[in-house]
Amino acid sequence: MLGLFGTLNMGARSLQTQQQGVEVAGHNLANVNNPAYARQRMQIQSSATVPDAVGPQGTGAENAAIMQVRSALVDRQLFGEISITGLLEAEQQAYQYAQANLGQQIDRTASGVEGAAAGSQNGLAEYLNGMFASWQSLSTNPTSSAERQVLLLKAQSLATQFNQVDQRLTNLRGALNDTVGSDVEKVNNLLSEIADLNQKITNTEHSSNGMANDLRDTRVARVEELSKLINIRATELNNGSINISIDGNLVVDEQDLLDTVTTYDDGTGRLFTRLQTGGTNLNLTGGTIAGAINARDGGVQALQDGLNNLASLLISEVNAIHQPGFSLTGSTGQPFFTGTNAGDIQISQTLLNDPSLVQVSNDASAVGNNRIALQIAQLANQPLGALSGQTFGQKYGQIVAALGQNLESVNDSLSNQKSVESIIRRQRDSISGVSLDEEMTDLLRFQRAYQASAKLISTVDEMLEIVMSLKR
Amino acid sequence: MRVTSNTFPHLLTGQLALLAQRQGQLQNQAATGQRIQNPEDDPTAMRRVLDLQTEAVGISQYRSNIQRLQEYSQVNYGVVRSIKGLVDRASEIATLADATRPQDELNIYANEIDQLLHQGLQYVNAQHRGDYLFSGTRSNTPPYTAVLDANGQVASIAYQGNDELASSEIAEGVTVTTMVLGENTTGTGPRGLISDPRSGADLFNHLISLRDNLRAGNRDAIANANLTELKQDEDNFLYHFGDIGAVQARLEAAESISRTRSQSVEVLVSRETDADLAQTLVRLSQTQNAYQAALQSGGTILNQSLLDYIR
Repeated sequence: MLGLFGTLNMGARSLQTQQQGVEVAGHNLANVNNPAYARQRMQIQSSATVPDAVGPQGTGAENAAIMQVRSALVDRQLFGEISITGLLEAEQQAYQYAQANLGQQIDRTASGVEGAAAGSQNGLAEYLNGMFASWQSLSTNPTSSAERQVLLLKAQSLATQFNQVDQRLTNLRGALNDTVGSDVEKVNNLLSEIADLNQKITNTEHSSNGMANDLRDTRVARVEELSKLINIRATELNNGSINISIDGNLVVDEQDLLDTVTTYDDGTGRLFTRLQTGGTNLNLTGGTIAGAINARDGGVQALQDGLNNLASLLISEVNAIHQPGFSLTGSTGQPFFTGTNAGDIQISQTLLNDPSLVQVSNDASAVGNNRIALQIAQLANQPLGALSGQTFGQKYGQIVAALGQNLESVNDSLSNQKSVESIIRRQRDSISGVSLDEEMTDLLRFQRAYQASAKLISTVDEMLEIVMSLKR
Repeated sequence: MRVTSNTFPHLLTGQLALLAQRQGQLQNQAATGQRIQNPEDDPTAMRRVLDLQTEAVGISQYRSNIQRLQEYSQVNYGVVRSIKGLVDRASEIATLADATRPQDELNIYANEIDQLLHQGLQYVNAQHRGDYLFSGTRSNTPPYTAVLDANGQVASIAYQGNDELASSEIAEGVTVTTMVLGENTTGTGPRGLISDPRSGADLFNHLISLRDNLRAGNRDAIANANLTELKQDEDNFLYHFGDIGAVQARLEAAESISRTRSQSVEVLVSRETDADLAQTLVRLSQTQNAYQAALQSGGTILNQSLLDYIR
């Protein structure tokens, strides 16, 4: 038997336990919109029994621990998916910029050449077509200074467009490079934060029974942030720490930050990542850093290289035909384009100053000769070995389509990836998420139990009073 | 599966975002009438459209080349017809100058022939858009210059052009020239308008010889030599009329082919890029319905709470 005072104590403990239950429900309710939060549950267990003639007798209930409901497996899956999403998002963003920079759109409502299929008026394709068409026009009227002027204007628009697109793409690649640098900084901050949290968690959990739930929530949020930047492997240890390895290299070992990530220049101005102390070059397969590197050295680089190739070949092919020709004044040897690639292609300043110096004739004594103009105009339809048997226009189409395909496939993968991520998030939400209904029910449950415990105390009190009155 | 307080809002925002994005896409398609705008929308179609666009610009350029060539051809025709008029008159004079005509009359004819020579020079040195028509590719040089004698009569005439023609493209790899050479004495290549050994034409020298024979009263020479020569000149002009006509017919045919091709390219581009408006609008209204349904059901579910039932 506990005796009346023992029962009174039991009532008091019960009040405490139920009150704590209300507190945990309150904590859960307060964090209902905290995305990093995992719901907490109070573990109630019956308190130690006392021996009695009829056997061990219960002494009520007590609160054993407050545990968070979290699945390490789902968390780990989510880290992986977040990395892939980060990679794809970074690539998508870069390719979308590249697409905008290229400015090649189809706009059927824009004015086209009388009834002919219209495109946008500001893509390279239009300028390229425009220039070759001007050579055609000039070939029908080789002495016309108006046609020469038009040709130079169109060719200059083409050169300017090449320059601008090249400049924009260079800027884009520079920006992607900068992203790598700034993301690496964030990675290092997060790594040290995680090591720090590991220490706090083990310390807290070592000195008390329960789990350091809220610190663990924060740590998961940090690991998620880290996963977005770089693909990692997170391993949870028995002591509550999470070890982080990047590309197979352990960087966070419990509370120790073993290594950090740093960038290095491979000699071409492109930044890559490696370990600061270990010096190992990192081969990243997920996260925004890898996405930026992939886009920078993949699609964007290919686009820029393709345009550079196209421009160089245009310069050399047109000049090879133009240079031996003769102008209206009989002068010869002047190149039409100057420069060597998309970045610096220009129209010869001499020609711009005096359009009559455009060399259209292949006979010094015949200004009405149009062989040169005709040959250059025919370049438009000429398959070139250097372009794998394609014409300039077809090659450009291929470059545009390649970028489009990159972007399209990233778009598709990202949309699939997002649904995968959202399924796992829903899974985690179903395990760890707070449900208002549940918490409200719990609240009622604990409230009722609290009421009942109070009733117990008042009953024992009445009994005590009865016992006291026996003596009178 | 356990459904928590944030499951519905997350699902709903995700669904609404997706539906809004689709609505945006469809609305854009309906507004522009285009299925694709950016390379990402359909890369292979984009590529085909770019190729077609290059073709379209090419065709349109060929059409403007053809128009330009037609214009030159018309001008050439006009000038050749005028010169042909001179030959007709010269032949008439040569026929008139028989034994029945006194020398005085022949002298008057001779003067007229000299005038015809001057006139012919003027015709043949015609310019169009700043270019001499009959100098070959030496188009900044007048094709013929005349040396006058003391009396202001044409003593001799020299050709200053060359025997090269400039041709222009009227279709891919197909070139045509509408130029007419003043003179070609090489015996190969395009025939000269005024002088060509193959037809025996040499109009200006023949006129000079006729004039001189008229003045000298060489009626026999006129009847035997000059008339035959002028006949050869006339034949040469007829040859050129035929030639110009043939080129014009060819240009017309090429123009009609280009027009058809440009229309079919337009159809192809339309097939690649244009949105099926009926389909787009139906899908748009479907998406709008789904959006409304999502809003309505979401609004109902989100509004329900246990809190409404406990006090």
